[in-house]
Amino acid sequence: MGSDRAAADLELFLAERGEPLLRTAVLLAGSSEAGEDLLQAALERLLRRWRTIEGDPEGYLRRTLYHLAADNWRQHQVRRTRLRLLQSGAGAAVVDGTAEVDLRDSLVRLLRQLPPRQRAVIVARYWEQLSEAESAQALGCSVGTVKSATSRGLRRLRELSESSGPMELATQGSARGRRS
Amino acid sequence: MNTELEQRLRADMEQATRDIRIPPGLALKAHRHSHKRTITTRAVAAAGTAAVLVAGTLTLAEVTGAFGQPAGGSQVRTTAYVISRVERALSASDMSNMVGYTRTVYPAGITLQPVPGGGTAEMTIRRVLDRIVAMGVNGSGGGSRSPRWGDYELLWAYHHTTKMSAFTATGQHVFDERLTVGRGSLETTVVTYPSHTWWTAQSPRLAVTGSASAGCLPAGQIRLTGGANAWPAFIHSQLACGAYTAAGKQALGGVDALRITGSSGQFTLWVNPVTYLPMRLQAGGLIQINFQWLPPTPANLAMLNMPVPASFHQVVPPS
Repeated sequence: MGSDRAAADLELFLAERGEPLLRTAVLLAGSSEAGEDLLQAALERLLRRWRTIEGDPEGYLRRTLYHLAADNWRQHQVRRTRLRLLQSGAGAAVVDGTAEVDLRDSLVRLLRQLPPRQRAVIVARYWEQLSEAESAQALGCSVGTVKSATSRGLRRLRELSESSGPMELATQGSARGRRS
Repeated sequence: MNTELEQRLRADMEQATRDIRIPPGLALKAHRHSHKRTITTRAVAAAGTAAVLVAGTLTLAEVTGAFGQPAGGSQVRTTAYVISRVERALSASDMSNMVGYTRTVYPAGITLQPVPGGGTAEMTIRRVLDRIVAMGVNGSGGGSRSPRWGDYELLWAYHHTTKMSAFTATGQHVFDERLTVGRGSLETTVVTYPSHTWWTAQSPRLAVTGSASAGCLPAGQIRLTGGANAWPAFIHSQLACGAYTAAGKQALGGVDALRITGSSGQFTLWVNPVTYLPMRLQAGGLIQINFQWLPPTPANLAMLNMPVPASFHQVVPPS
């Protein structure tokens, strides 16, 4: 009975707030499949802590997403990928990213080449538009770390974008506005 | 400069995740997985580790007990979180450097007419809204009886300049009004298209009552004290009054906007699920304002320009 209620309650929460969380998770993890895995891992932690969380569950979930993404998600993901390979047999050993997000724009594709912490900081600052202090809180690090990771991440992205197509950035960048 | 890169990055991230949807059963999967882990913990404990047994049981109790609480609990927390994010987004430092763009649709009976020195463009809005308030939120009372000049308006505001363009319901361009706030005065310039005329006037800047956007207003009422870019302050002040609830999602402009409603049902705000910035405000079921927060690019700033067509003749401003 508690289980049914739990699933229903969490389903309600996800219906309300799941989409932006999943979008963040996908950007953090680099593909839609990995993003779902990341969100699921964070949801599991949320479930275990549900009663003891003070304040909003979404805040906890976001922090968990960032922690997992920045710290140990890569290792965790490798384990899951191996598990999938074992489960699905040799014929299905095509972990080629076909379930990945449609990366029409190069910067998101290049974002995946950044180290996890830098990527997480970039997502926090420019996707969620968190301040440096808020990003530091979400990632569990200092403001100085956020500043340096942001600076290095942007510099790296610029280098990568220039080496892969500088004109694209120059011509498209100014025409894009902030979404409403 | 990183600004261009940052804007591009954000636009690309938006584009790349636009079609992402929550897969069905994700919550159930997470719950089952979590439950399975708990059972495993218990099994290990049962095998002989008393300390783990205690921990495992406690964990299980947490899981079942957590969702034994009323469903309203998470709803309240979601509301608190959403509203805190909206408030944070509204008070972000870069908001003051945005080009505020609004499209406002007025109810029948409301007339838009440019008047010199009516204040800044913000005051123009306020005048109209005051009339709405005078009409009452249910539309009772007297509206303007003068000829209809505009049914909806587009308004751009940046720092001390505001431009408003009024249109009829059929899209006919009726007039443009540009207001520039100077030191102690404001300049109003109006181009009226049906009559091919224009006028300009200088007038003293009206003092704005400080409490206008700060207090908790009765449901459905709106007061602005600073142009299109005064909306953040107004919305912020009303949310701070409490009595608002996160009321689910609604598709708006291609995104699933978060809906926040006042307890009286007279004030509904839709915010972007990612930026938490206002997308639409509906007050009293009478007036609807659609917001966009634009970067100050040359193209967006150009929207504040108001050239007077060469064939138009200048007239004396109305009193």
